[in-house]
Amino acid sequence: MSNANVGSVYDHIIQEVINAVRVDFEENGVEDGVLDELRKGWQQKLSQLNVAQFPWDPKPEPPPPAAANNAQTAAPPVSQQAATSYTQATLSPQTSAQPLSHQGSLHPGANGMGIKPDPGMVKTEPGIKQEPGTGMSQAGVPAYNAANAGRGGIAAQRAAQALESNYGPRAAASISAIQSGMAQQMNPAQLAQRPGQPPQQQQQHQAPQQQQQPNAQQQYRQGVAATMQQRLQSQQGAHTNGPNGLPAAQVDGSSDSFEGVLLRHDANGHPVEMGRVEIDNLIHAQIASRAKQMEGGGLMLPLKEATRHRSIANKSKATTGGPSQVDGPDDLMKDEDLDEDAINSDLDDSEEEKDDDEEDDDSMGHMMLCMYDKVQRVKNKWKCTLKDGVLTVNGREYVFHKATGEYEW
Amino acid sequence: MATNSTNFYDLYRHGSLGTTLTDALDDLIGAERIDPQLAMKVLTQFDRIVAESLSDKVKARLTFKGSLDTYRFCDEVWTFLIKNVTFKMDNGSHSVVADKVKIVSCSAKRTDEK
Repeated sequence: MSNANVGSVYDHIIQEVINAVRVDFEENGVEDGVLDELRKGWQQKLSQLNVAQFPWDPKPEPPPPAAANNAQTAAPPVSQQAATSYTQATLSPQTSAQPLSHQGSLHPGANGMGIKPDPGMVKTEPGIKQEPGTGMSQAGVPAYNAANAGRGGIAAQRAAQALESNYGPRAAASISAIQSGMAQQMNPAQLAQRPGQPPQQQQQHQAPQQQQQPNAQQQYRQGVAATMQQRLQSQQGAHTNGPNGLPAAQVDGSSDSFEGVLLRHDANGHPVEMGRVEIDNLIHAQIASRAKQMEGGGLMLPLKEATRHRSIANKSKATTGGPSQVDGPDDLMKDEDLDEDAINSDLDDSEEEKDDDEEDDDSMGHMMLCMYDKVQRVKNKWKCTLKDGVLTVNGREYVFHKATGEYEW
Repeated sequence: MATNSTNFYDLYRHGSLGTTLTDALDDLIGAERIDPQLAMKVLTQFDRIVAESLSDKVKARLTFKGSLDTYRFCDEVWTFLIKNVTFKMDNGSHSVVADKVKIVSCSAKRTDEK
């Protein structure tokens, strides 16, 4: 199906229109150049649509393939560039990642029990890895000391210095205990307790210290008692650890200025200290919600009760910002909420988009504009006689004088 | 001529020829080279000339078959949405296939009568 006559017909139409409106242009005092401009603009826009070959641009006939060639030849360099940059992008992280992994692998290996250079790292590996400067490691430091005797000297010195600077003469006993290198201070029970939940480590840590020193020298016990008293006083005052000068427990992050066992972010995003009871409540609430999940969201309950619980749970989630926000903003929960919304909105959108697409297809894609002479229907069979039409199909344009169509509904 | 020009449909303005003319006129109006009234005159001339040219200059005949999806007849205008259409022109051997074609058709008699 050729559309060779389209160009000549359109050219004829353009010439006719330009000639017909020339009078109007003159009457409006518009100069001839504007009319010429209109014609050129019209022809140019029509050529851009590329619906047919037009007589006014015999040159553009070669250019389209040339332009296509240009596009093709221009494309490979771009893709090559993209490829090189891609390889660079993929390579550079590797090269940069390797030293990182070396660091990560070297440090624990070299340190044995592990001096953690960053307090934040303690969080990722709770347990026996204790920062040397935490000040509360009267028991921990000697243990560390015993574990790697080569390096332990530094840590012991540091601990001793810290104790001395903090407590002065009162700590003399502990210092001497440290310096004497008490390996037996590290007893297995303490080890077993430390890998527990990092948030509660401070409290767990202190309690066993007082109890589990059967082999300790009397001096040392007194020293520890003194430090414990000191620390308890400072905690009751709820001050920052001014008297200690050292962070109390860094197992739950790097925030030095809080004495609370845990921090959570309140509705405004401010960190709020949480006491033990609060934490217990949190854990209880979380376990309860887990249990509810396990039983299928209350499948076995009467419908009223199930929905009531769920609504309460949702409410509490909305008001308190979630019970499990002790370890930072709970991303998972928010994501789920977003997802729920997204599903709904997607469903809504898809329908609307479908409608829009149909409209677009109808108006922009394949379209026939014409006159009709006759439209007949017998049952579901239609017959129509059309004339003077313009048809746009598959990016090409056709004109016809007469058309007959038969179709079934 | 002005009285005649009002009798032609502006339906062809929605084709490629009409939209490009409208765009070109919009450019000139935007640049304040012409005023909108003049552009409207150009478009009415265009309506007439397209209809005349299609009936006088074009001899091609077209047949097409397909399955009618939607039909509508409103204000003397037929609108068909035909799916799986095959077009055939008598001047060419190849046929053109489209999955969906919208046909907007005005009455030919009305222009003749008026």
